[in-house]
Amino acid sequence: MNKTVPPEKQAFYQKLGKIAGAENVLTGAKATESYMVDGLTPQAVVCPASTKQVASIIREANESRVTIVPWGGGSKQPVGPCLEAAETVLCLKNMNQIIELDASNFTVQVQAGIVNGELQKQLAEKNLFFPVDPLYAERSTIGGEIAASANGPRRIMYGLIRDLVLGITAVTPTGDITHTGGKTMKNVAGLDLCRMYIGSWGTLGVITEAVLRLFPLPEASTGLYIIFPDPEDAFRMVGQLLNSPLTPSAIELVDAVAGVEVAETIGSSLNNSEVLLIVNSEGVKDDVIRHQKEIKTLAEANKAKTTIILEGEKASRAWAAYRGIHEAMLGASPSALQGKASVPISKLGDMGQQVKQISARQGVAIGVTAHCGNGILYTYLSDESGKLVRIADELKQAAASLGGFFLIESAPLSFRKEADMLPPRNDYQLMRRLKTEFDPNNILNPGRLAGGLY
Amino acid sequence: MIARSLIKDLTRIVGKENILADLKDLISYSYDATMRQELPDVIVFLHSTKETSAIMKLAHREKIPVVPRGAGTNLSGGTIPVKGGIVLETSRMNRILEINTANRRAVVEPGVVNLDLQNALAPLGYFYPPDPASQKSSTLGGNIGENAGGPMCLRYGVTSKYVCGIEIVLADGEVVNVGDYVEDFPGYDLRGPFIGSEGMLGVATKLVLHIIPKPEASQTMLAIFNHLEDSGQAVSDIISAGIIPGAMELLDQKMCQVIEQSVSAGYPTDAAGILLIEVAGLADTLEKQVREISQICQKDKVRELRIAQTNAERDALWKGRRGAFGSVARICPPYIVCDGTVPRNKLPEALHKVGEIAEKNKVLIVNVAHAGDGNLHPLILFDVNNQEERKAAKKAGQNILDACVAMGGTISGEHGIGLEKIDAMRSMFDPADIAAMRQVKHVFDPDDIFNPGKMFPPEKEAPLPAKEKAAQG
Repeated sequence: MNKTVPPEKQAFYQKLGKIAGAENVLTGAKATESYMVDGLTPQAVVCPASTKQVASIIREANESRVTIVPWGGGSKQPVGPCLEAAETVLCLKNMNQIIELDASNFTVQVQAGIVNGELQKQLAEKNLFFPVDPLYAERSTIGGEIAASANGPRRIMYGLIRDLVLGITAVTPTGDITHTGGKTMKNVAGLDLCRMYIGSWGTLGVITEAVLRLFPLPEASTGLYIIFPDPEDAFRMVGQLLNSPLTPSAIELVDAVAGVEVAETIGSSLNNSEVLLIVNSEGVKDDVIRHQKEIKTLAEANKAKTTIILEGEKASRAWAAYRGIHEAMLGASPSALQGKASVPISKLGDMGQQVKQISARQGVAIGVTAHCGNGILYTYLSDESGKLVRIADELKQAAASLGGFFLIESAPLSFRKEADMLPPRNDYQLMRRLKTEFDPNNILNPGRLAGGLY
Repeated sequence: MIARSLIKDLTRIVGKENILADLKDLISYSYDATMRQELPDVIVFLHSTKETSAIMKLAHREKIPVVPRGAGTNLSGGTIPVKGGIVLETSRMNRILEINTANRRAVVEPGVVNLDLQNALAPLGYFYPPDPASQKSSTLGGNIGENAGGPMCLRYGVTSKYVCGIEIVLADGEVVNVGDYVEDFPGYDLRGPFIGSEGMLGVATKLVLHIIPKPEASQTMLAIFNHLEDSGQAVSDIISAGIIPGAMELLDQKMCQVIEQSVSAGYPTDAAGILLIEVAGLADTLEKQVREISQICQKDKVRELRIAQTNAERDALWKGRRGAFGSVARICPPYIVCDGTVPRNKLPEALHKVGEIAEKNKVLIVNVAHAGDGNLHPLILFDVNNQEERKAAKKAGQNILDACVAMGGTISGEHGIGLEKIDAMRSMFDPADIAAMRQVKHVFDPDDIFNPGKMFPPEKEAPLPAKEKAAQG
């Protein structure tokens, strides 16, 4: 144990073992270094087994003023504004059970530490699934996904995680256990704290349990991989698709910089300015067939170069390659910067164009992927010649000029420490008051999100 | 009672044509569908965010209660000014500011009537899914205040899913924009606690809503049953089969009889229960859905299945459902509307329980339900001059809510807590849950200016036994 730790905090670390069992507490830098976050190595890592244990730990931490970092699968830890302190990591990996699967009500209650991919496996046995599909779903936990408001391509068909989480049990920063929502589809009893906890990044409470809305596994699914020589044609087609009664389950776009491997997987390649549009459809068979046919026709009418229809194993492989882009692009360089532009849906093409202009102006390749039906565009770049700040500023300006935001998600630590991570808004004061009210001693994830405004 | 000078100050802000302070006017703003009545001191018609902010600064300085109000169609006491003060009338802030189908957004002022927006969207082939039965008169601001539902919410989800951004004037007059026009934005999702906050956190002055293309085709079916529980079972079986119709409404025999007395919807008056089912989607697969639903209904002993052949037939079927509360009010003005909601597979059990409760308390209950969502609306009728009946009706209402909570459900699916269900809050929530809600209220409105006296039970009271029962069950 570090000798500089003041006695009241020492006492806290000793209590951890009593609360969670000594075998569930790691102490000392060596043991805890795999939980290092934002350059901070925690003094202790504790893995509680129940909501009650979490409440005891948080209550003690609050009294001893020990900072706590809630931890699910860890995949979102290096995202967003930096933590100011991380004395104890509260890891929910031991809270990974299904509490109640109510198949005929299409709900499941889970402990927050269950991994999304693991949950899906168990649900699939009952022919069910939870339609939240963020990146890293094979290792991110449901609690972490709720905390980070993590969404994936299926958001266009099923809505956001905020529409699919029906109830939450969370421990407040002062150690109180709170329940909000439940297992009904509709619920307006009291203030909706459920949607307050969703996307609060572990700053307002530790999510320990959740009730999720489920759907039957689709009877059929298909993916269309469409290559456009001119991105403008791709975005026009997206506009027409969105204006139709069709309801695709994903409308994704990838450019030539980011899409090399996906293109290879489908036996094709992307030239300089070409883009690949991926449109997935799922549901009952007749619906899917109709989607396939009409989307293909739309593509041809909009000057697509190639349209490849994939099903089964081939579709899974191509989809996996697309989903692998994020990790591949981030892993390519220690100076990688990844951000997300969120703009009005019809302005997505303009955003894509501006990204290309910035790339050309700065002489730095920028890879792009997008959720086209939601106005979300991800950018990937890396640079070691000191242009990151400049490029990020230009991307922010571009998004702002279109009425949206550019949010930096992953970046080198030095960049995240210095850059202004949050664009201007007029509700930060209110957010800050909320944080102070719930966490008067600023012990939960200090520095994250609205906390980053201090 | 507020000072006369204050009315002068308010008049200076909005002009005298936008102020009401005569007793006859105050009375019209003193009640809703519940039986409570309290007079406000003054009604102020709003026209802009700026005006609203100026009024709030004044109210804040003088610590005067303020109740935001849409069309006042609320059902749980939300707009009753229990502590007097100012009623903020939003009905004159009724402009549709933008409809942009390419962005799937509509930007409106809070006083726009739900149906007016639907009518503006329909020619473009778009719609705004939340469709409360009150949509002919209720405002979009009020819909956000109550997190309104409606029949089509079965397939599409309730108001909270379709609100992207809200401009809010806070208690001290500060204007904030929570959420955003775009889908992902930085910081907390403050729309969460605001939507459904029943006017207790602030007043919405501008709304950014999510709109979607209309389904290509839809079909309305009427399934007639000889036993009410069979109709509930059919709902459960349809949902369990993974079919999500656009809407699935249940009405019992007495409800049908009452409706047929005032609206010619074509409902049978001799059947124990009917289901009004609307399927929506692509034309190609609609037929298959109708067939599957028909098969399930057959298995659950349906007496007769009718499919609306024309738009007129369809409209008639829906007119009956939408007019349900009004039809009941015509024969028996005082009634209690329950809004208890259960997990979807518990509907048959819940309907059975409601029947038992009616018998036990010797009260007349007519049933209508957003059945696919497990959202019950038992209407408990009574003679307003008969104290005994009145008491029995209230007791039956409580019993129903307790039964819903015990089944893993909630005391309110879409009507809100208001005054009516304050006591029932403790049957659902622990003191810590309510304390956390109070903290949120405190953050938004530290001086308790907005709609005081609603939602929260008095502090320092033990939870009711029902909570323990639910926890054990």
